[in-house]
Amino acid sequence: MPPALRGLLPVLVAIAVLAVLQLLLGGLPFFVYLASIVGVNVILAVSLNIVNGMTGQFSIGHAGFMAVGAYTAGKLSLLLKDVAISGLPGVVSDQVQFVGTLLAGGVAAALCGFVVGLPSLRLRGDYLAIVTLGFGEIIRVVVQNLDVFGRALGLSGIPQTSSLFAVWFCVFVVVLVARRIVGSTHGRSLWAIREDEVAAEAMGVDTTGYKVRAFVISSFFAGVAGGLFAHFVPIINPGSFTFVKSIEVVVMVVAGGLGSTTGAIVAAVFLTLLPEALRTLFLNVGAGASLAQKVDQIRMPVYGILLVILMLVRPQGLFGTREIWDVLPRWIPRARKGLT
Amino acid sequence: MSGDPLLQVVQVGIEFGGLRALHGFDLEVRRGDLKGLIGPNGAGKTTAFNLLTGVYVPTHGEIRVCGERVNGRQPHQINHLGLARTFQNIRLFRALSALDNVRVACLSDAQPLFSRARIDELRRRSSGRSVVASAMDALNNYVDWWRALLLTPGFQEEEEELTRKAEELLSVMGLSHRRNEEARNLPYGEQRRLEIARALGTRPRVLLLDEPAAGMNTREKADLMVLIRQLRDQFSLGILLIEHDMKLVMGICENITVLDHGVTIACGAPERVRQDPKVIEAYLGDSYLASHGMPVPPATPTSEHPVA
Repeated sequence: MPPALRGLLPVLVAIAVLAVLQLLLGGLPFFVYLASIVGVNVILAVSLNIVNGMTGQFSIGHAGFMAVGAYTAGKLSLLLKDVAISGLPGVVSDQVQFVGTLLAGGVAAALCGFVVGLPSLRLRGDYLAIVTLGFGEIIRVVVQNLDVFGRALGLSGIPQTSSLFAVWFCVFVVVLVARRIVGSTHGRSLWAIREDEVAAEAMGVDTTGYKVRAFVISSFFAGVAGGLFAHFVPIINPGSFTFVKSIEVVVMVVAGGLGSTTGAIVAAVFLTLLPEALRTLFLNVGAGASLAQKVDQIRMPVYGILLVILMLVRPQGLFGTREIWDVLPRWIPRARKGLT
Repeated sequence: MSGDPLLQVVQVGIEFGGLRALHGFDLEVRRGDLKGLIGPNGAGKTTAFNLLTGVYVPTHGEIRVCGERVNGRQPHQINHLGLARTFQNIRLFRALSALDNVRVACLSDAQPLFSRARIDELRRRSSGRSVVASAMDALNNYVDWWRALLLTPGFQEEEEELTRKAEELLSVMGLSHRRNEEARNLPYGEQRRLEIARALGTRPRVLLLDEPAAGMNTREKADLMVLIRQLRDQFSLGILLIEHDMKLVMGICENITVLDHGVTIACGAPERVRQDPKVIEAYLGDSYLASHGMPVPPATPTSEHPVA
């Protein structure tokens, strides 16, 4: 394959495949909603894995960055609701605005990531965990007390411009970015930091710089995930971005295996669909709507139990640091690995 | 032994609280030098290495690498100037393959916007504190990340070049057959060699080896001696090594510095150092000297440990 094409081909293929899926399944509201929720969680898990998995730092405030993205993008969309770009048909204009607000959300989150990351990533150890934990809570409390962001009621009436295509294209982009980082010098430097920071620094790796860059990239995608989220749920409020949400994402990354992108995807899909599946199951066996509603409440204990079992049976997570194709049976053709 | 000193240490000292870990340390390494640093346990050898590589910042004196003052610079910046090291207790990237261990060190030196020479020149003029140089570095890096994410043809070529270089180093160190093996699964001797290969990946001009022969058997030690000389000639390096194995140190070093309690007690050719009564005392105690009818040197100021 010519080198110029190697960079671009996956993008073209993804666009084609996603366009077909959009045409086939775009009309099923519940499916699209569920697929979007799953997609957002996959983006969160894969992006957090860049920091927690590949770089070996411990961030537990991903919901905070998601909130920054969601509120920035949501508020912008609300402001631009009655504005259309002249010379473009209405739908196209809406989509252009949607993409713009997503990027704005991502950039806002990335800026927060930079501000939070720069001081705390200079240090080794658990400082990042403490700072990100605090950041997540601060963001939540701030939006809860600002009139512009609708206080506890949140923002409603944001144009629902998201689509199956939009969400899963973002999923594709974050996965592509994660994989390309792993396969490059930059990714190897991140792994080196995870393995031994002192040695990495002595071998010429600018450890602080790399940690901050990884953290900023991760925050950017959390912001994009938040932006997407704001455009397909009817209302966003501070309750969607609590500490529990951050932990949910951490659980996905740990369950999938710290450092495994495909592991994060599988875990995110599984852990998002699990409550849905349980709810449907309870409804179908006729257990009554009240029990079905309780599924949401017992979700966290279930996560906890799953995590304990996982730590006992498979402490390195589902795939460890490897990818799904490394653990598949030999007769399935394998993709080229980034790390040898 | 030619040219300007690549590594120049002048009267360097460091205090931890009130403890003088190293005091008045002088050293010079030129291209082609093979020097040794010895001393009893706790003499300050590894502290000296940590000072040279920027892990600690010296409280006194001056360190110059390739003519540039490096006091207070970060370890990776000092490494970029041409100083690489290995560690006493092996610190490989354990989960990475042998090839990747070396490839991490062979950082791509991509300069998409501003040339390295220009940035270095700016740094030199401002003794490492130029904001413009840092901005240029950051921009270079930013563009390089995009090249990686977009997988541009130029980036792919660089990656291949880097892999070639790493493979070459592996073969120099006789590790080609371990290319894809995880570092933690290599036998001990090979891990030591992989550490040297990794250090060489950073294109050093001075190589610091911290007990390279620790844990090796006699046969491996003999091979290592040949290898160290070969490396010095092949890569035209200056080498400084810490070692406890006297046979090895006396065998290959042309010049030995002896530390005891943070102070240099002897320095010179191996034969001279070996007969120095202060050195014998430091290693064997003055009772040994007395019982063998040798003169006991007067107590040095080093034997007092000022503690705040």
